[in-house]
Amino acid sequence: MAVLEHNINEVSLSRLEKRENYTFFGLTVPYLVLVGAMIVIPIGWLFFLSFIGRDGSFSFENYERMINSKAYLRIFLTTFKISLLTTFFCILLGYPLAYFMSQISRKWASLCMIGVLIPFWTSLLVRTYAWLVLLQKKGLINNIAIDLGIITEPIKFVHNTSGTLIGMVHIMLPFLILPLYANMRAIDSHCVKAASSLGATPVRAFWTVFFPLSIPGLLAGSLIVFVLCLGFYVTPAVLGGGRVIMAAMKISSNIELYFSWGAASALGVVLLVVTMIILFIASKLVSLDQLGQRR
Amino acid sequence: MKPFLIYRKFAFVAATLGVASLSTASLAEDTLRIVSWGGAYQKGQSVGIFQPAAKAMGITVKEDTYGGISDVKLMVKSGADKFDIFSSGAGGCASGGKEGVLEKLDYSVIDVSNHLPGMYSDYCAGADIFSVVAAWNTDTYGDNGPRTWADFYDVKKFPGTRAMRNKVDAQLETALLADGVPKEDIYKVLDSEEGIKRALDKIRTIKPHIAVWWTSGASHAQLMKDGEVDMTTGWNGRFDVAKQDGAKVAYDWKTGIMDWEGYGIPKGAKQKDLAMKYIAEMMKPNYMAEFAKYITYGPTNKKVYELGLMEDSRARQMPSHPDNAKHQMTLKTEWYAKWRTIAAEMYTEMMTE
Amino acid sequence: MANNALNISIHNVTKTYGDFYALRDVSLDVTSGEFLTLLGPSGSGKTTLLMVLAGFINPDYGSVKFGDEEVVLKPPHLRGIGMVFQNYALFPHMNVEQNVGYPQKLRGVSKENTKISVEEALATVKLDGLGHRQVDELSGGQRQRVALARAIVFKPKILLMDEPLSALDKKLREEMQIELRQLHDRLNITTVYVTHDQKEALTMSDRIAVINDGQLKQLDTPNQIYRSPSNAFIADFIGESSLLSATVKNGIASLGSSKLKGNQKLSKDGDFLLVIRPEKLFIASKKARDANHFEGVVEDSIFQGESQLMVIKLDPKTYGEQSLRMRLPNSSSTLSELPGIGDRVTLGLKIVDSYFVEKSHGGS
Repeated sequence: MAVLEHNINEVSLSRLEKRENYTFFGLTVPYLVLVGAMIVIPIGWLFFLSFIGRDGSFSFENYERMINSKAYLRIFLTTFKISLLTTFFCILLGYPLAYFMSQISRKWASLCMIGVLIPFWTSLLVRTYAWLVLLQKKGLINNIAIDLGIITEPIKFVHNTSGTLIGMVHIMLPFLILPLYANMRAIDSHCVKAASSLGATPVRAFWTVFFPLSIPGLLAGSLIVFVLCLGFYVTPAVLGGGRVIMAAMKISSNIELYFSWGAASALGVVLLVVTMIILFIASKLVSLDQLGQRR
Repeated sequence: MKPFLIYRKFAFVAATLGVASLSTASLAEDTLRIVSWGGAYQKGQSVGIFQPAAKAMGITVKEDTYGGISDVKLMVKSGADKFDIFSSGAGGCASGGKEGVLEKLDYSVIDVSNHLPGMYSDYCAGADIFSVVAAWNTDTYGDNGPRTWADFYDVKKFPGTRAMRNKVDAQLETALLADGVPKEDIYKVLDSEEGIKRALDKIRTIKPHIAVWWTSGASHAQLMKDGEVDMTTGWNGRFDVAKQDGAKVAYDWKTGIMDWEGYGIPKGAKQKDLAMKYIAEMMKPNYMAEFAKYITYGPTNKKVYELGLMEDSRARQMPSHPDNAKHQMTLKTEWYAKWRTIAAEMYTEMMTE
Repeated sequence: MANNALNISIHNVTKTYGDFYALRDVSLDVTSGEFLTLLGPSGSGKTTLLMVLAGFINPDYGSVKFGDEEVVLKPPHLRGIGMVFQNYALFPHMNVEQNVGYPQKLRGVSKENTKISVEEALATVKLDGLGHRQVDELSGGQRQRVALARAIVFKPKILLMDEPLSALDKKLREEMQIELRQLHDRLNITTVYVTHDQKEALTMSDRIAVINDGQLKQLDTPNQIYRSPSNAFIADFIGESSLLSATVKNGIASLGSSKLKGNQKLSKDGDFLLVIRPEKLFIASKKARDANHFEGVVEDSIFQGESQLMVIKLDPKTYGEQSLRMRLPNSSSTLSELPGIGDRVTLGLKIVDSYFVEKSHGGS
């Protein structure tokens, strides 16, 4: 009898649970519809437009153009090269800074964080032009270096790849530091202590314990930086001096050139697809890496 | 984070108010919205033409900047309503007209009987004449800078950094002139992909010396002002303004490629009739003479010279002054209508090599 | 296992943070193979002292010797100690085997030997066969064992433990206490154990060092500390106790108007406290010569499973406003004789169980 009662209880409980699940799912439907409308429709529209030729009919001309002109391939390569380099330098600068911030007291770390975030409060355009003023041939840095006798000829910092990288790294750094710092703060400091009590030198303890534990934050930050870089327009346009042409710039110039969305949409589609492929590969790598700590 | 939120809220409110004020203004019967290129150019237009002409007609004219004929096309095609008149190069208007996004101008309302020949078209009422020239830094070369395009392309005779436009417009012509093609044959040579390739190959010979591909009039003027490059292609008026501001810059009319700028009306403009009357008003010689005081872009209306509205010393600085014009070639709008996209893609390919 | 444990000598160790003394002139010897517990309330300095031993905190002055070797300036990774942290501090990116093998890898031990020692260590903590588990697949108790295995796998001569059982539930904690103690006896490692749980300290230790306000208050065996706390703080902190205010004059102690006999010589006059352990009290049917007696009324009687706790309010006229706690074992024989609330009782306390501490000392 007792066993039977127990079963009845369980059955009705699981039925209630199911019903509750349906209710909660029902509650999320409007949100799902909203997300669908806001993401699926515009992207679908983008795909659709990319197959519309100049005369308004269905056509592959926008994609053919990309295959026929070497410029497009070069622009995509430049886009990925600049994005990768920016990510790389952001890691190079951001990792030690985030590490430093994670090791000091929270009070000082918040002060540092304000320092990291202040650039966010200035317009992107202003920051970019500020770099131009600092770095150009007769800019502040070259002038000071020449006056001090460090160099005799001005160094070409801007209107090239290095200028673009300087500007982009400056703008992107917070996007790397924020998730990385949050991740590092969450790392149990006792783990590093445990490692050193077990015989690890500080360097060894860092590389065998702290660094592996910071990889998820590092990957998250790097992906954000990389993906944001792919769509960059203003900074390469101003600091690249026309020598660094990224996808977003070509999208804009194609609208000017062809007066149709199609020519620009196709570029957008290719950029989107390639980015998705990269993200897909990255997600595989991340989950492999995190097997040790998740589940 | 709180100050940031407040700031955002403020910005949002400000933006909403701005939009609200713009949209109510656009509803008023006697208000026109005009867009132009910004910088020293639009400043001259505003003080010399837009506002005095508006005052004379008793209407209000709101000004803004825009990004060129593509903005007009996107606006018309998407059914938006942002402005009634735009200031544009002849080539831009021609391609807009071809796409069918512009209103045909009514020359029974707009009086162009005193215009220089060819300085108006179905979709564009010419207002000023400018030239693309080769400007050099007088700190680097003194008086003996690149006075011809052949000089500009001669990196042995004139070592130094160069800048050219990041768009094809008026750049291929310079290459062919440097290559020894006579002025009158330029567009014959360019009327094929081989011809375009010939011009691009000429540019390729100096590509390692091109430090910057400039994007706008403001940017090439700044490049010369800052001494960032030793010579550049660019618009004469911008260089004259930069020179007034102390920039060490000079140019020779022998490099000039004349082009003209005017006003057009987007198709379906709300205030089409008023815009037509306003353009007619702006064509009057006194406004053109006033505009030319601010920037050295010459009038399209002969009356300016005939009535002596401009001092002789100023008139001699204009690209369209007979003494200057005789050295120059004139940009051919029709060629751009036919070849622009192909030439532009080839130009980009050359740039990205 | 060979007797290779090391003794530890701590001399005059002082650590300050600004004006605050985390440790004040602490001297302490841990004999080789001993299980010594640092006991104190939170903020007492016990963990600081452990961190000084581990090398994570450098004292302002003082000396720490492992055997004959001065280690006070040695960085943690060169001290060769095994350490177990409060929250286990297992490496989440490694599985059990890798965690336990980590110290061996650092020491350049070959793969085969590492495997053998890891299996041995896991067997020692009864986790055989779980080497391939991920850390987050383990229960709290299992994680504790992994942390322990990791700390002993390289056969350290000193083992430090920082409240290792505090995250476990009571039952598991009590099991682990006994297990840890047995493990210590088997491995013969000099062990320094930090806890704030006095019962844990009494259960596990060879000796207990009671620490408060950064100072060593008493160092003794659990039995001695329980029976003869050196001051009122320890008397109150360790075990249950009722402290009755007494005065001593000319070597004779009195509580209110009644005289008290004690087990120790009272050579000093002044305010004292009589330390009464609840389980030492008994209900006296008649007064005996070898006991002190107290008169009072049962105020409360609480059933606590294995025992009955009674609160007795003493006669205010004789003793002033004071009450006593008495614990009687719940055996069938005592149950029927238990006095009820409101009953008058006479309580007895053997003179051998009557112990005085000075009131001014430490204070509580």
